[in-house]
Amino acid sequence: MTGVSAEFRREIDAIGEVFAFLETFAGAQEIDEKTAFCINLVVEELFTNMVRHNEGGGDRISVSVERRDNRVHLELVDTDVEPFDPETAEVPPVESGIENRRPGGLGIYLVRKMVDDLNYDYETDARRMRISVTKTLEN
Amino acid sequence: MFEIKRNENGTIGLHGRLDASQVDKARAVFNQVSESCEVDFAELSYISSAGLGLLFGTQKKLVDTGGGLTLINLSPHIREIFQIAGFDNIFEIA
Repeated sequence: MTGVSAEFRREIDAIGEVFAFLETFAGAQEIDEKTAFCINLVVEELFTNMVRHNEGGGDRISVSVERRDNRVHLELVDTDVEPFDPETAEVPPVESGIENRRPGGLGIYLVRKMVDDLNYDYETDARRMRISVTKTLEN
Repeated sequence: MFEIKRNENGTIGLHGRLDASQVDKARAVFNQVSESCEVDFAELSYISSAGLGLLFGTQKKLVDTGGGLTLINLSPHIREIFQIAGFDNIFEIA
């Protein structure tokens, strides 16, 4: 078995537990250091985005991670929430100097730039959001 | 685990992992910064957009008064994050 799944409290402070979960997976699957760094960052950004923007959602967020050959597949599921497609998030002007930059907006941008693909799905009846990404191993 | 220390020479040292759950600890120190200083990343293994946002806010405040942060000893992974975020245009990275 190459995939694992767990549910975590809908709280920013739960991110340490998420990292411990990912670290166990990365160790068992012998994921290289650079890919492991990327997986941590991607999951943190998506998880904290769900915590902050889905207030009133279910009290648990599901995180699944699976290795398929030389790729890692991640999926986060949030229930009882309003739709939010990360593909619609504003792109920060990363080529600009500080005078034209504003705080925020970097999390989803970093995710987009660091993964091979990002998929969003929303089930209206269940009010369930599912975000999945795929990342090719660096080494 | 994350730790932040301000040395006698004014350099701010970051240790461990600066994630969204730890950023308030870092903010307490960066809020006290009022003039140019170095931030040493030698012992920092991880940073996410939460930490980047804090550094950005501090830099914005300092640039407005003619100063700025100098970031030193970034690991290759963290340096790449800064480049993706376009922060190599915003900070002096030594």
